[in-house]
Amino acid sequence: MSIILDANAPKGGIPKLPQRGQVSWFEIILLLACIGVVASGVAHGLMDVIVLSFLFAGLALAWNIAGGYAGLISFGHSAFFGVGAFTSTILLTRHDLSPWIGIWIGALIAAAFGSILAIICARLRGPFFILSTLAFAEVVRIIALNWASLTGGPEGLSIPPTSSLADMVFASKSVYAALMLGYLVVVYGITKGLEASRFGYYLFAIRDNEDAAAAAGVNPLAGRAAAMALSAALTGIGGSLFAQYFLYLDPTYLISPELSFQFALLPAVGGLGTAIGPVLGSFLITPLSELLRSYFGSAAAGLHLVIYSLGLLGVMLYFPSGLAGALNKLTRRRPFS
Amino acid sequence: MATFLQLLLSGILIGSVYALMSIGLTLIFGVLRIVNFAHGEFLMIAMYGAWAITHLLGLNPYAAAIAIVPAMFLFGGLVYLLIVRPALDKPHLVVVFATMALSIFLQNAALMAMTADLRDIPPIFAHSLTIGPIYVKVELLLGFIITLICTVGLQWIIKRTYLGKAIRATVQDGEAAMLMGIPVPRIFLITFAAGSALVGLAACVMVPLFSVFPSVGLNFVLIAFVIVVLGGMGSIEGALLGGFCVGVIQSLSGYYVAPAFGQLFFFVLFLLVMIFRPNGLLGQQGAATVGMND
Amino acid sequence: MSALLEVRHLSRSFRTVPAVNDVSFAVREGELLGLMGPNGAGKSTLFNLIAGVLPPSAGEIIYDGKTVTGWKAHDMARVGIARTFQIPKPYRQLSVIENVMLSAFLREKSTAGARRVAATTLEEVGLGEFAESPASALTVGLLKRLEVARALAMRPKLVLFDEIMAGLTPTEVGAMTSFVAQLPARGITVIWVEHVLYAIMKTATRMIVINRGKQIAEGTPAAMARDPAVVKAYLGEEIAIA
Repeated sequence: MSIILDANAPKGGIPKLPQRGQVSWFEIILLLACIGVVASGVAHGLMDVIVLSFLFAGLALAWNIAGGYAGLISFGHSAFFGVGAFTSTILLTRHDLSPWIGIWIGALIAAAFGSILAIICARLRGPFFILSTLAFAEVVRIIALNWASLTGGPEGLSIPPTSSLADMVFASKSVYAALMLGYLVVVYGITKGLEASRFGYYLFAIRDNEDAAAAAGVNPLAGRAAAMALSAALTGIGGSLFAQYFLYLDPTYLISPELSFQFALLPAVGGLGTAIGPVLGSFLITPLSELLRSYFGSAAAGLHLVIYSLGLLGVMLYFPSGLAGALNKLTRRRPFS
Repeated sequence: MATFLQLLLSGILIGSVYALMSIGLTLIFGVLRIVNFAHGEFLMIAMYGAWAITHLLGLNPYAAAIAIVPAMFLFGGLVYLLIVRPALDKPHLVVVFATMALSIFLQNAALMAMTADLRDIPPIFAHSLTIGPIYVKVELLLGFIITLICTVGLQWIIKRTYLGKAIRATVQDGEAAMLMGIPVPRIFLITFAAGSALVGLAACVMVPLFSVFPSVGLNFVLIAFVIVVLGGMGSIEGALLGGFCVGVIQSLSGYYVAPAFGQLFFFVLFLLVMIFRPNGLLGQQGAATVGMND
Repeated sequence: MSALLEVRHLSRSFRTVPAVNDVSFAVREGELLGLMGPNGAGKSTLFNLIAGVLPPSAGEIIYDGKTVTGWKAHDMARVGIARTFQIPKPYRQLSVIENVMLSAFLREKSTAGARRVAATTLEEVGLGEFAESPASALTVGLLKRLEVARALAMRPKLVLFDEIMAGLTPTEVGAMTSFVAQLPARGITVIWVEHVLYAIMKTATRMIVINRGKQIAEGTPAAMARDPAVVKAYLGEEIAIA
């Protein structure tokens, strides 16, 4: 299954706007711009924001596989984030295992957690499902906070800041930016491949009408578990990368409802159920919230969040299909949701 | 043994207070089929309000309810009209995120206005009551009594008045209710506003027991969710029962295991209920499977 | 020809209400079995039982020699049972052709292949021009045809049609009737619940009438029209006697 498919091919060349399963000029230009930004070696402070924007774009895409494609709105994804981060870090700091390998183990364990969550919530829909994901993440967080021998308890874990390729610790932020961009591109590629594949369509079906999907031969529970597992695994990888960047893991922040909300928010603002949406969402909101925080955060505690939340409210009520939807409406193409 | 009874009693009493703050949430879900993620923040601002009235006017918080409850009713109505109603005809997600955004807004607006300092009111009652070897905080007992009165009152309204019947009809089948001439949008508005008013009452009861600070809502909203789900969304008796369960579990596990684990237990309980009785202990059949494709 | 589907003493109750009560019949390959009955008779419940949406309270379902009682909907679909929904259930955020592709994916592994099958099926039911429209834009009548397309795209052996004629104009009824009539020749066995008498009387080789969950008559369409029990079920006691 290739990314550029005959089946959906428009008459003539690469489409201008993102289409299901195909790469568009928009995406190519965006990618080139990202590479350019990384290579240009921009100022330190800005590089921070860039690293985070790329990372959160990947995390938003990962969430989108479960939330946007399969309709599993989870407010508990920070559990997978934390599991990934802690697994690779524990393996590194206590067992000298390189994060380049540890990341995958973290992903596997996160995937297992994801499947378990899907199975627990097999019969739940709507707000019940959302609340259960919240409860699940809280359980994971409380265990992580209290299992001090494993996770370091409330003090958390640290990674020694000596730069080494084998340990995935780098002196230069540009290298981290490249790493995060790589993560973003990989998750994006998986997402694009998914949305034109049989499995991807099965997820859409489960999301849009579960009864009809079952009647068409789709096993809803298997689909949900697979979507959640994949989403969790990719989120876990993001967690590991985050750990390698910040070099400090604090379970209170790492596995928090606030972070879970962020993973859901970025795709929602950017446009659920599209590949480009979560990316746009992150590229807009991550720098914006950093900007707001630095500009207003000192003026009055909480002001930047007041502005942020009001903006969010506005976007939610007036652009329910997100940025991607607005983009499509602007050019009067049928919105691919 | 005395300790156990003490813990049990405290648990039931605090549980009733938890229940009071959850009744609004369960009503709103039962009728509107949405979860108000800003519920904790409604509680928070009502608590600040009760604190302010107590602090500035020297009244006790129970008297403050006279002002707070109607104020919260109006506030709830306003939020419904400005935020919830426009979101209702959009994909379900929008309501979720909109109420989440509201939650962040309220928390931070409170932070800006009141700072993060904890606010308390001076103790109202000098001594606790004693029943044999057991101590009962008067504020807790009052909370329990108020909750019971409230529950009975609500049940009366639901079962005996036209409004109550209209609400029950809307819960069972909104479309049919509309076809029968029930002004469903107005029922939605009244329910949301009433749910908020109930939160206001709960806040007045809770201010003597808990400190107020901008993110106090976060602690309580998770408890409220657990109670609502445990008791069955839409069920007032369920909220009461759920409240008792949560209160007792928290009380017992906090003492016998460890305070940190108190929360863990009722989240695990929540998940167990979700697996085995997703409609809650007293909820409507099929409530848990109300999804977004209906 | 042996029975493709056999239903034995099938029952399903909801709390204490028996929606389907001790129904037994068999359908041979290549048959077009009509299933009729007044509203609330239990026809949809019966379909839900056969399609695996609901488990029976009692009785057995034997399909293609296998006992499939209690199998879930997706497993029934995989062994070749397709069904339409009385109230259409389209995937609203997908296009019409994507709706059908979903069903085609049961037998086609590639997206391109599924698209081909979907396009062909849409042409067959006359929805070709709507292929790229969003499913949410279709009227109820067209959605019913979409249901048919989705069922057929699964390349089923047995198809359960649930009132697919509702909302169709008389011309469309004629076209759809002819369409369904030729399905058995293509190797698709049909069980058809329908209120539009013309369609089912004309095409069915055999009919079963259900009332209040129980089978009250079985036979050729012509015989059913004269059967007093059937007339009574539909029109009431007095007319039956008269």
